[in-house]
Amino acid sequence: MTARHAAVPADAAQLTVLSNFLREFGAAAGLGAPEMRKFELALEEIFMNIVMHGSQPGSTPHVEVSLRLTADALTMTVEDDGPQFDPLSLPSPDVTASLADRRIGGLGVFLVRSFMDTVSYSRTAGRNQLRMSKRLEG
Amino acid sequence: MNLRIEALPEATYVVPEGRLDFDAAPGFQEALERLLGAAGKAPAALIIDGAALEYVSSAGLRAVLLVTRAAQRANVPFALCALQPAVREVFDLSGFSRIIAVAPDRATALAQAQQGRP
Repeated sequence: MTARHAAVPADAAQLTVLSNFLREFGAAAGLGAPEMRKFELALEEIFMNIVMHGSQPGSTPHVEVSLRLTADALTMTVEDDGPQFDPLSLPSPDVTASLADRRIGGLGVFLVRSFMDTVSYSRTAGRNQLRMSKRLEG
Repeated sequence: MNLRIEALPEATYVVPEGRLDFDAAPGFQEALERLLGAAGKAPAALIIDGAALEYVSSAGLRAVLLVTRAAQRANVPFALCALQPAVREVFDLSGFSRIIAVAPDRATALAQAQQGRP
């Protein structure tokens, strides 16, 4: 089992840092690019949600990302100390809406749910914790 | 993300290279809206060639949606083509390939855009 951990402030500029962290982890563990892209997308969507909705005047949440690789699955946990917010409570977008009626809200979380096998939220000790897991091929 | 623009008589082809993520989406949207808004010089058609596009997130989808609407307002035929499988999957899952023309190659994209069908 391999585990890695990164911590950054909830600032959009840190997305590159986290993406690089994830890519380096994937490369070191010999994981395939297609699967790592799904985790990259999940990380971008969840992190940017925290950046956009988690900050209050004068305070920027801290975000911690943990990766845990077992024999057949990769689990990514994103934690932040911002206000309580469960992204899984967002309504699902209407993916059949017409061009004119299309809204983007909720689409990011919808993609995360589509790409991961399991996604769960908990609020523990004043922290939001979102846990995403996906079985790895081969 | 790097944006390569090939202006040909029948269409302007835009080739985004790399990642269409939160960082790149605003610049991408702005560049395409500028192409569509060029006074008296709007392209005959606008085709996004996704052959070198490696990644798209919901921020990228949002930019594509807004550009599609801008093309519609400007009466410029618009389509995407040659999406890599991982990017295509995001378009399919989000239902975008039902409302925006997504073709296998440039020639098909141009024909579809001119007929105005997704």
